[in-house]
Amino acid sequence: MRKLVVGLFLLMFVVPLWAEDTAIVGEVKKVKGDAKITHTGQPINAQPGSKIYTEDILKTGKDSAMSFTLKDSTVLSLGPNSELAVKDFKFVPSDKKLSLITKMMKGSASYISGTIGKLSPESVKFETPDATIGIRGTKFLVKVNE
Amino acid sequence: MKKYICILFLLVLVGCAPKAVVVLMPDAEGKVGVIEVATKGGTKTIKDAGYGVHIESTESAPSEPAKMEEKKINKLFGAAIAIQPILPKQYNLYFISGEAQLTSESKSMLPQIIAEIKVRPTVDISIIGHTDRVGTNEYNYKLSYERAKLMYDILVSEGLPAGSIDVTSHGEENPLIPTADDVPEPKNRRVEVTVR
Repeated sequence: MRKLVVGLFLLMFVVPLWAEDTAIVGEVKKVKGDAKITHTGQPINAQPGSKIYTEDILKTGKDSAMSFTLKDSTVLSLGPNSELAVKDFKFVPSDKKLSLITKMMKGSASYISGTIGKLSPESVKFETPDATIGIRGTKFLVKVNE
Repeated sequence: MKKYICILFLLVLVGCAPKAVVVLMPDAEGKVGVIEVATKGGTKTIKDAGYGVHIESTESAPSEPAKMEEKKINKLFGAAIAIQPILPKQYNLYFISGEAQLTSESKSMLPQIIAEIKVRPTVDISIIGHTDRVGTNEYNYKLSYERAKLMYDILVSEGLPAGSIDVTSHGEENPLIPTADDVPEPKNRRVEVTVR
């Protein structure tokens, strides 16, 4: 019984952390021109402060650009005519739950690795239609042509 | 021979754009990491800043890493680089033993953190509370939460919207410096504040 009480007590502090984990994974920081977030099938105009959720697709149009950060401080910037999906994001270091998978369908991007990359490089993947990029704590650029 | 010249000519004509290009860059502190680019055809490791590979198909291996001219980098990636936001910053604030009270040294860091927040047009913040291993687990969970909550209250009083702040507490479970139980360690009595 005492164990149960202690367990419940610990849960009080742990549960909100999980709840956050399934919700917002990042935030749009800068937008130029036409930038959209597709969340559960519905594209909306992205603005600085727009929230990003797992499985969202971020798109920029002609002469447009946008940047965003994820909760582990990964920084992603997209050039014009770009499309990128946040396929998986788990960031619970206290529970060793770490995963970041992004996929770029087209366009250009700058990627600056965050805390997941530092704690567990093997948990970070950046995919293009033909290749997978493994990252060990760094910055890189990607261009994908249609 | 003629055939090859024709193919060459055609490649020049269409610009011969590869299907993807990946280039390794130094980070803001000038540090250069390592990236591995893998297709079904093979894997190439890039270790040098400004070096990149081309990818032509899933079946073929990426090209050998080669230095990419700055002019070319700017042409391909200039727009993405230009939209990069202010980079995230992380601070460690330290606490007096057994209390949700900042050391005077950490207290003096508050204006700097608040300035860093206000310079950003939009901001999201993570606050994570920690303790050392003096006291029981339950006591330390509660204490780490109170420490994180103190920082939260300070930032909200500075006019930050509560919705842009995440508060979590790890108790004694995530030390900066691992110690045996019941050992006081000032570096572990901390709150991590990340400003993005």
